[in-house]
Amino acid sequence: MEGFAQQIVNGLSIGSIYAVFAIGCTLIFGVLNIINLAQGAFLMVGACAGLEAARLGFPLPVALLVAAVGGGILGALSEQFMFRPLRKAGGHRWMGLVASLALARLLVGVAQEIFGTEVQAYPPSSISTIIWQIGGVRIQALQVIIILAALLLMLLFAFILQRTSIGRAIRTVAFSEDVAQIVGVRVESATLVTFFIAGALAGAAGLLLGVLFNVVSPFMGDSALVKGLTVMILGGLGNIPGAVAGGFLLGLLEVFSIAYVSSAFRDAIGFGLIFLILLVKPTGLFSGFEERRA
Amino acid sequence: MIGFFTEILSSYGNVIDLCLLNILLAYGVWLALSGNMFTLGTGGFMALGAYGSVFLTTQLGVPFGVAVLVGGLLAGVAALVIGIPVLRLRGDYFMLATFAFTEVIRVIALNWESVTGGAIGIVGIPRYTETWQLALLAVVAVYSAYALRSSYFGRSIAAIRQDDVMSQTMGINVLAHRLTLFGASAFVCGIAGALAAHLNFFIGPTDFGLLRSVDALSYPILGGFNALFGPMVGAIFTTLLPEFLRFSSQWREILMGLLVILVVLYLPGGAMSLLQGNRLARIFKRQSAEQRSFKQRAES
Repeated sequence: MEGFAQQIVNGLSIGSIYAVFAIGCTLIFGVLNIINLAQGAFLMVGACAGLEAARLGFPLPVALLVAAVGGGILGALSEQFMFRPLRKAGGHRWMGLVASLALARLLVGVAQEIFGTEVQAYPPSSISTIIWQIGGVRIQALQVIIILAALLLMLLFAFILQRTSIGRAIRTVAFSEDVAQIVGVRVESATLVTFFIAGALAGAAGLLLGVLFNVVSPFMGDSALVKGLTVMILGGLGNIPGAVAGGFLLGLLEVFSIAYVSSAFRDAIGFGLIFLILLVKPTGLFSGFEERRA
Repeated sequence: MIGFFTEILSSYGNVIDLCLLNILLAYGVWLALSGNMFTLGTGGFMALGAYGSVFLTTQLGVPFGVAVLVGGLLAGVAALVIGIPVLRLRGDYFMLATFAFTEVIRVIALNWESVTGGAIGIVGIPRYTETWQLALLAVVAVYSAYALRSSYFGRSIAAIRQDDVMSQTMGINVLAHRLTLFGASAFVCGIAGALAAHLNFFIGPTDFGLLRSVDALSYPILGGFNALFGPMVGAIFTTLLPEFLRFSSQWREILMGLLVILVVLYLPGGAMSLLQGNRLARIFKRQSAEQRSFKQRAES
């Protein structure tokens, strides 16, 4: 029973990060109907930027802000100079996929050039090592902080999307770009903010991921992208509540499969799920109470 | 003169082999793209062909030619198994499923140690692949692409690429056509993987990851997938560029990424569209009108 509770804590902490990351991926799909395969690279850049901030002696919340803003700026730049010109040119839909893959490649190359190819860790002073022992369950303070930070980010995101004027604009564009234009929504700034938010969520998730495992490397984006896409499919493409639920679900599934099956096939579980979902219910597990995109 | 050629072969033999192999791969990916299927499964299919054929030649002593064929068939069958459920779905699900497939294969290759050697891979594979075999297959690939474009099947594919719903209405079995193309694409990629394994002495799980799939996709897109020689030009260019510029591997990644973005943004028809005014190009670019109307329907 204690082992079970332990796994739940571990699963929730990793799952909350997956959820934050996947919200960004699925938001872009919900609003613009495209998949941005560079989100993983944004996550990696956020992790690197956050690490650099922590090394300069800034506390973790500041590092989180740095990571989010860094990822967000990259996201906005990619929209301004890559995705928007591509949409304007009216090229085939896979051109966006190719371009985002190429962007990811470029960013990984740049990160390697700046940070080196080795795996890096946080300076010991910047990460809390407190561990609470509650009835045989070891809870790291760090795990709690990560879960709280992730929940805070999700709440902030929900607030922006539901209660602010830019959030309403984004939801209108998600409903229909033409309708948004007719009712006077500035579509261009709404898409720009969409990409900024998605990039910021990816960057923040990168920092949290780096802190949780204390590992930052230029190659962390690829595996994170895989998780993000898995969660997107689990929750249904463009379904934000689905992405939150899917993130926690994937985190728990992974942790339990390591504990009770085998660590070797942790990643295979996620992919197996993708196939299963595509076969049985391609609209995602949670399409029943879907709000209809974003 | 003959001495000159043998000298070139001996000093640039590896680069030439790599070029020919990538040409084969480029046409393999082109087959899938021509049916409007954005595949990220190339790495997985290559891995199936490579590990399958190496298992046959080194452990069972099967002749090389048979092993390569079986490797290709293995990849083709895998494509049919994925394709039957996934090709029924519209949108980006196909891309996501092939992406997942490549990763599944990588994870299996990493963990099934008795067959794949795990993370270390398989070392000391006998070198059976000859340059002439690669050259022959590259020629066959280009010819097949040419024959396909002018065939009834090829015209059906072109119709599907423009509008799959309309094609279905006109009596083309869209699913069957796509499935055939996807299987053929995987078969070619599997063969390329088998040949690559018997060229390099070594295979490991990292050789066939997502990066391989992305690389393979960039060949026809850089060269121009509407032109017959587009995939070939893209493959040769992408293979030769880093060889001649001698960059560090990081700079190679940065440069390749930048190049692909610039081509996609400013030259969406690929390098071959530069030749548009040329008479030779016009012969091979019968589909430029189709390409234009195809551009207008970004959705599908």
